Amino acid sequence: MSAGAWLELITSGIITGGIYALVALGLNLQYGLMRILNIAHGEFMVLGAYLTWVAHTVWGISPIVMIPVSFAALALLGVAVHWLCFRRLTQTSPNVDVFEARSLMVAFGLMFLVQNFCSWVWGGELRGYDYMTSPVTIGQAPFAGNKLLVFGMALVISLGLMLWLRQTLMGKGVRALMQSGVGARLVGIDTKRLHPWMFGIGLGLSGVAGCLLSMAYTISPAMGEPYTVTALIVITLGGFGSMGGALAGGLLLGVIEAIGMHFTSPSLKALLSYAVFIGVLLLKPKGLFTRRTREA
Amino acid sequence: MTATRPEDDQPGLTRRSTLQGLAAGAASLAVPMVARAQQPPVRIGYAMARTGPWTGGAQVSQEPNYLLWAEQQNAAGGLNVKGVKRPIELISSDDRSEVETCVRTYEKLMGSDKVDLILPPWGSNANFAVAPLANRYGYPLLAPTALSRRLVEMKLPYFFLLLQQPAPMTGALVDMLKNQGVKSVAVIYVDDLFGIENYAALKVSLAGSGISIVEDKSYPAGVKDLSPVLRSIKDKNPDAFIGFTYPPDTILASKQAKEIGFNPKFFYASVGTAFQLYRNVMTPAGAEGVLGMGSWNSKTSAGAKAYFDAHTKKFGGKEPDRWASGACWASLEILTNAVAKVGLDRKAIRDHVAATEHSTIVGKIKFNGSENVGTPGSVSQWQNGEFEVVWPKSVATANLVAQKPAWK
Repeated sequence: MSAGAWLELITSGIITGGIYALVALGLNLQYGLMRILNIAHGEFMVLGAYLTWVAHTVWGISPIVMIPVSFAALALLGVAVHWLCFRRLTQTSPNVDVFEARSLMVAFGLMFLVQNFCSWVWGGELRGYDYMTSPVTIGQAPFAGNKLLVFGMALVISLGLMLWLRQTLMGKGVRALMQSGVGARLVGIDTKRLHPWMFGIGLGLSGVAGCLLSMAYTISPAMGEPYTVTALIVITLGGFGSMGGALAGGLLLGVIEAIGMHFTSPSLKALLSYAVFIGVLLLKPKGLFTRRTREA
Repeated sequence: MTATRPEDDQPGLTRRSTLQGLAAGAASLAVPMVARAQQPPVRIGYAMARTGPWTGGAQVSQEPNYLLWAEQQNAAGGLNVKGVKRPIELISSDDRSEVETCVRTYEKLMGSDKVDLILPPWGSNANFAVAPLANRYGYPLLAPTALSRRLVEMKLPYFFLLLQQPAPMTGALVDMLKNQGVKSVAVIYVDDLFGIENYAALKVSLAGSGISIVEDKSYPAGVKDLSPVLRSIKDKNPDAFIGFTYPPDTILASKQAKEIGFNPKFFYASVGTAFQLYRNVMTPAGAEGVLGMGSWNSKTSAGAKAYFDAHTKKFGGKEPDRWASGACWASLEILTNAVAKVGLDRKAIRDHVAATEHSTIVGKIKFNGSENVGTPGSVSQWQNGEFEVVWPKSVATANLVAQKPAWK
């Protein structure tokens, strides 16, 4: 294989990996940092995808415009969902492990609600539209414009989140919240306000992911679940709560799959990703990119 | 992952079941007075995917046709049962794209509800599970969306397959490619029954044709990236690309072929190319020249045009697909005629279906065992926003465009 072909293959893997990372970021915020195991993450992503599809095909709004709109809509929905479901759970759960288990149950319910809502409103058929599908050439190799956009957004969002969590006071507050809720309250962090907004931002990111994915793939109410699974793998690979880890984990998975698919067969893709997953769990159970001394 | 309803497994009286009972009781008091005036309905049951992964196919190629058919028959005074018009009552539920749910539903429909007739579920897998059951209960089943040699080999007397099977479909494709002087093909196929059987049938058809396979790769359903495979196929520069694909992958493969600039002389994909969705997603210019599994369109016959228009009107511009929808409508035509002729005696319906040559919107249909041997295998192609049948010439609605234009 020539150097050019290798480059093409790895780049296509990196782009797919960027998509994985993008989907994983929102879940990482919710599960990695807040311990809400939001198994309905993929479903909320589907909601963002449908919003974009409707806006584009019915009202002719550019999907690019829908990136912030999906974010805002889903973030507000997230705050509402948190207020309705998870607020009570935080108050009544004796410790964080019980909270995690309970949040999983609630999220299961949400998953069915959202999935059936989409089926009810938009029907079960596949939907899609044509947007930015013309190839853009990088070096010698052509890539679809919309995929590059998805990849770019994944980079921007994960770097932005990383900076925000590390550098700003609010970001530090969020990390403190997760290390110890009581401690955070003692030092004056308003956890009652911070918690719903963090969940909202997590859902907002799933909305952005959905919006971007609708440009590249066909959408249906049932499409969310495999993405949730991939996102869980990615954040486990990268280490819970580590945004850079999620990005690196997603890219790693994408590249391994691309190379594996090229040399064996796409049918073995799942085998490859799970082999990597199990390998990492055995060798570095806390994830590839967490430091031993820090939890969050 | 699918929903399980806890109340399904709970015996005893819940508030909901009490309410349901009361409502049913009230309804049963009211109904006989109305119903006495007219003939009792013909109760026709089915399970259909309304949620889950099968929905995309089921809600395009199958259930809309059942609804349209019942509506048309009822508007005309009801289903003609040996000269007596009786209203159709459809008894349907969501099978949630699960084989178990599907089987349980049909078991209930035939075993305890004892409906008059059943209509088939969507897809090869569900039909595989339901066909033996229907056979045991003696219900004729005319399946429009099942594609598998194995279903034919099961030799179930009550089971009929409307869709052309892998051998005639790939036979028509190879015949066309040979005629066009194609020397090499690359194949991808989904690694389930559908893909594997079609790939096997293709290899048989290709044997001795002088066409070589330069690349063949399987992929799992739900794949998110086919570009590594398509890039390596592009490097081998085959004359034709053949994909035995499902709708999401059909579109993925097309989009990614466009992305990497892979534009062989013949680009063929399978399920989904015949959908309106394909034209919507790829745009009419982008779909131009793409080949796929299709067997009819509104030019095929006057009946096909009437059906196409009625479907589009009823469902607000939603068009039937140019492959299985036609077969589905044909199956309903056959059933309607059989019931008119022999009534609701299911054994007599079966014998009538098996022994008669049927005229349908997609042409003559006759069965050899379970298999429809009346409809030839065919190939269709997108031309100016319409999916035209281009091969064989006997059923063609337009001439083949031999060199696919560049993706747009």
